Amino acid sequence: MLNVEKILFPIVMLFYLAAMVLYFLFTALKKEKAAKWAFRVQLGTLVLHTLVLICRGIGAGRLPMTNQYEFASSFAWGLCLVSLVFIWRFRFPLLGTFAVPVILLILGYAALQSREVHALMPALQSGWLGLHVSTAIIAYGAFGVSFVISLIFLLRERRSDDSFWARSIPASEKLDLISYRSVTLGLLFLTFTILTGAIWAEQAWGSYWSWDPKETWSLVTWLIYAVYLHLRIRRGWKGRTAAIFAAIGFLCVIFTYIGVNTLLPGIHSYK
Amino acid sequence: MRKIRDLLTSMSFAIVLLVLLAACCAFGSFITQGQTYEWYAGAYGERAAVLIMALYLDDIYHSWWFFALGGFLCLDLLLCDLVRLPSLIRRTKKAIDPQSILRSPVTASLSHVADPAPVFSALHMPEPKAFGQDGVSGLFSVKNRAGLWGAWVCHLGILLLILGFGLGQMTHMEYTVYGVPGDEKPIGDTGLTLSIDDFRIDRREDGTARQYTASITVSGKNAAAQSGKASVNHPAALHGLKIYQNSTGWAAAVTVSRDGETLQEKVLCAGEYMPIQALPELSVFFNAFYPDYAPAENEALEGHAYLYTLYYRGQIAGMNILLPGEVITVDDYTIRFSDPQEYTLLQVKQDRFTSLALMGGLIVLIGLLLAFYCQPRTLWALSGQDGLWNVYGFSPKGGALFAEQLHSAQEATPKLQKEE
Repeated sequence: MLNVEKILFPIVMLFYLAAMVLYFLFTALKKEKAAKWAFRVQLGTLVLHTLVLICRGIGAGRLPMTNQYEFASSFAWGLCLVSLVFIWRFRFPLLGTFAVPVILLILGYAALQSREVHALMPALQSGWLGLHVSTAIIAYGAFGVSFVISLIFLLRERRSDDSFWARSIPASEKLDLISYRSVTLGLLFLTFTILTGAIWAEQAWGSYWSWDPKETWSLVTWLIYAVYLHLRIRRGWKGRTAAIFAAIGFLCVIFTYIGVNTLLPGIHSYK
Repeated sequence: MRKIRDLLTSMSFAIVLLVLLAACCAFGSFITQGQTYEWYAGAYGERAAVLIMALYLDDIYHSWWFFALGGFLCLDLLLCDLVRLPSLIRRTKKAIDPQSILRSPVTASLSHVADPAPVFSALHMPEPKAFGQDGVSGLFSVKNRAGLWGAWVCHLGILLLILGFGLGQMTHMEYTVYGVPGDEKPIGDTGLTLSIDDFRIDRREDGTARQYTASITVSGKNAAAQSGKASVNHPAALHGLKIYQNSTGWAAAVTVSRDGETLQEKVLCAGEYMPIQALPELSVFFNAFYPDYAPAENEALEGHAYLYTLYYRGQIAGMNILLPGEVITVDDYTIRFSDPQEYTLLQVKQDRFTSLALMGGLIVLIGLLLAFYCQPRTLWALSGQDGLWNVYGFSPKGGALFAEQLHSAQEATPKLQKEE
């Protein structure tokens, strides 16, 4: 199964590449048909990506979420899933043009990591693992989408005179609301991640909160998105400011994921 | 006084607190916590070390100013929830009052609608109710009133979470007990004793540990013996204490003998000292055990080894590696390390406020669900003189998306007439 996974992984990357090219064609040539095909290819790639994760899980004999490679691949999967839902729900194919390159970047990072399968240490052999990490994947995916929407929002301001952009990108108010929806989805799942992690930590280490760098940065991310939500309520902070803040929030997400693991080792540093 | 109350309940104050807390938390993760002045001076320089110690940056998360920030956040949340409670109750009641509905702001509207019923059903609104007031008649429907309480519930949850965490930090008991099977150790000042009955390591074929399980008994003068098993992720709960299988390390039997006669024997865990009774000024320290030791000069030689340090009058007198069969000889005395075995390190804890913090966390989650996915919306339709209806919708958080939904509802019902 691990061999199947090894063969399928680059194929998945190629398919994401194909989806990206189609999205770029849609954006550059302004062909709606390309967007439809890009969506289909992205959807098909998600199915294939799911298969890769299943193969990895079967091959490793556990959930494929316990090292940098596995989490990066799952993170990309989560971002793909959430972006597809948002493209479909809000009829917003341009989201794919920006989301798929981010997915490819994350998968590129995954490809650089060690794929060796190690047996799980006892602390990781818990039913909470699946719940804790899968909610984190959705949270990170949703925050990734909010980041992409923020970029589009900022870009829209520069290209407001272009009729294609005006047609393909929802109005600023709606774009802000879509970003808000993705942040709320992310925050809800991040809260769930922190809660399940706390319960698990209490069982494994006897302390539900020990200021481990990963815990601390999850809290920092939570606080930043909480600030984002409060800022939106204040008059004048919607739109551009909120978009900048959502982008900063995602940088925190990335730091929580990569920076903490590499720069601030703690009990979460499972390499 | 009113100014202070206004400040404490203001959104700006909450935002400043959240930003400060986020910044402090992030900052704390970059400075190694819990070290000495000397350590910081070595790592960051003398000036930085002075600053770190003066500002309590060596233990940020337990510093008075961090607690003050948390305290202000609690005060802010408490006051916000208290101040907003009456208006929230009023809003919840008014949400189903036709008179208030007629005065409420309009997020989106449709005009000249032949039959408003399909619009209500397309937006998944509850069965509309009829009303007639001041010569105006119509239909109204209210959905997700509970969503009004989302932020309030979330704030309450955060308050309980911080309260539970803070009280837990102040009152919790924590002890560490380690040893090998057969050991009986006191649990701090609880008056209870923990006996390690057995310690097993379940290993995979490749030698890695699958699980560590300690069989333990807790007893006391006035407490009946209670036995249980503590393994990783499955703590034991005995006499109101939670016992966690936390860690493991190596232990070895250390024997002091003279002319073949054993004078002293003790199982020593790595990191422990043993004063030599026959030589009062001498003590032996067990540094570490290497189960797969291969000396650099002879890598073919495989086996285990003990690293020890001898102390004479508190000063290091010698430090070396002992291979199997080798002994330490001091005058006529022989010190031997043997029978390596893994010991268990158990964490004994009691935190009566964990459930309060957990409850707070769950309430936060419920609050977020209400706030984000139970968004209140009101739809009302007023009949005009021409027999057609005007439909109005109010969704404080729906905005453009709600307006889009309302217009889609019109598209989905072809019998409707042109929108406004």
